[in-house]
Amino acid sequence: MISFDTFLAVASGGLVLGALYALMAAGLAAVWTTLGIFNFAHGAFIALGAYIGWQLADAGGAGLGLTAGVVVATVALFGFGILFHLVLVRPFERRADIVTVSVITTLAGTAIIESAINLIWGPRSKQLARLGTGEIDLGLIRIPMGDLVLVAVVAATLAGLGWFLGRTRTGRAMRAVSQNREAAELMGIDVPRLYALAFGLSAAMAGLAGIFVGGLRFMTPTMGADPLMKALIVVILGGIARFTSPIYAALLVGLVESFSNYFVGLYWTPAVLFAIMIAVLYVKPSGLFGHHQRTL
Amino acid sequence: MTALLELRQLSGGYSPIQIFQNVDLVVQPGETVGFFGPNGHGKTTLMKTISGVLEPWSGDVIFEGRRINREAPRGSRRFRNFNYDAVTRRRMDPKAVARAGLIHVAQGNLLFPEMTVDEVLSIAPMAAAGREKGNRFGLTSIHSLFPRLAERRGHKIRFLSGGERQMVSIAAGLLAVPRLLILDEPTLGLSPKLRLELCQSIRAIKDMGVPLIVIDQDVAFLSALIDRLHLFDHGRIARVLGKAEIPDHDTLMSMLFGAAIT
Ligand SMILES: Nc1ncnc2c1ncn2[C@@H]1O[C@H](COP(=O)(O)OP(=O)(O)O)[C@@H](O)[C@H]1O
Ligand SMILES: [Mg+2]
Repeated sequence: MISFDTFLAVASGGLVLGALYALMAAGLAAVWTTLGIFNFAHGAFIALGAYIGWQLADAGGAGLGLTAGVVVATVALFGFGILFHLVLVRPFERRADIVTVSVITTLAGTAIIESAINLIWGPRSKQLARLGTGEIDLGLIRIPMGDLVLVAVVAATLAGLGWFLGRTRTGRAMRAVSQNREAAELMGIDVPRLYALAFGLSAAMAGLAGIFVGGLRFMTPTMGADPLMKALIVVILGGIARFTSPIYAALLVGLVESFSNYFVGLYWTPAVLFAIMIAVLYVKPSGLFGHHQRTL
Repeated sequence: MTALLELRQLSGGYSPIQIFQNVDLVVQPGETVGFFGPNGHGKTTLMKTISGVLEPWSGDVIFEGRRINREAPRGSRRFRNFNYDAVTRRRMDPKAVARAGLIHVAQGNLLFPEMTVDEVLSIAPMAAAGREKGNRFGLTSIHSLFPRLAERRGHKIRFLSGGERQMVSIAAGLLAVPRLLILDEPTLGLSPKLRLELCQSIRAIKDMGVPLIVIDQDVAFLSALIDRLHLFDHGRIARVLGKAEIPDHDTLMSMLFGAAIT
């Protein structure tokens, strides 16, 4: 039914996809756990990151190479995330219906960002080079260097995030805010600043993810829609009990997607993923690895 | 001498329900004052308003001679439907209050369930940053005050008992180097043994020279600890008793309700 070599290829493809989803989902979860809102513009952040990266890296832009693209896109998105929070989320923070209002404002943000990308870079699709060229022989299997770099960069980023949340005072304060806002305020923690920081970090991770997505698929202004949906599935499937929960779920989703693509085809894969997600929600309402909601 | 804390005609509540009205209070430096009153009459709401978690409706909070609330917005009707933070800024900022050294240990604080005791205590001194040089409450003094916390350093808050969580809460308050410490029902729901332990720790905190406002239902504990007792009833300070005037629990209840409860 499936040869061993094919199996390895499909599995490794799934894991690479999973790593990418983990990066997206961790960014999405950082905002959801800290602010308690869902940022529907996360996909648009991914697109913006890809285009800024392209502008820097591609010969059609500044032609400075992909490394410059990665650095500038990540830093720019960090700032953009803070600005986005200031303009579209923070003014409504004290409303009782902030959760619903933020759905609309972040969707509005998505539309605005996509239109702006269209205006600046045009609707014609572009493509980014991959980080790393050639293939590497791992004995049983040859995998593209780009995949290896992707996994390594994602692992390093997530490890860095884990270190920040677990070891630094600011990171711990961020977890404190997500777990009990009022108690955090009473401890003198600057909640609005941490909200802005969470948004900035989340957007920076989206920007980085955008560079990788741009190397795997064609870039269009709406390229973030599919990654957003996948990140959403990952976050709901895995739960957010710990910051590592979406990571496991992301690898799972990547593998399922990869095998589903192979066996039932590209067309049916989203349906398969959603069916699995719904089934998990029946059995474990707070996600596969969750015991309760909204902590970091 | 400027008062440590002064409340002038402070009113507040949970909009639209007013809980307390026109509360006046002066706490002098070095004083320890107590609050006593039936459940649900607004003591906790008053303390949350002092620490800025709730917005004051009117009146002023003055801490060490400085007013820590903003004026009520003028022409507020015009801005009522205008939601932007920059215009309708919060009248009080809990972060600024804590950083000024007015530390509120909230009633039944659940703290941060997924963080360890040590992690919580590591962020607690943030409120003292820039105000106190050389923290006089190090982790060692906390551990000698609450030896249990040394045993449970690596445990997550959600696995602690209510009493242990209360200890973490108070310890975090101390690490913020309070210039005034508010303890809201610190012994609520504790076993008699643990309650005794905690009462001793609170006495030790007072002996370190930390000014306290203590709310409690245990009159004997309060009368041994404090200089003045405020009887709180229906959102007002009904009476103020000096240390010598504090009677036993039953007499106190009859003072509040006008008749002895049997
Ligand atoms: N979050 C809230 N929203 C609305 N009403 C509340 C809230 N918390 C407490 N109350 C009400 O405020 C009143 C005063 O409560 P509280 O300040 O906790 O009293 P105390 O501390 O003296 O027991 C009570 O009647 C209570 O029902
Ligand atoms: Mg109370």
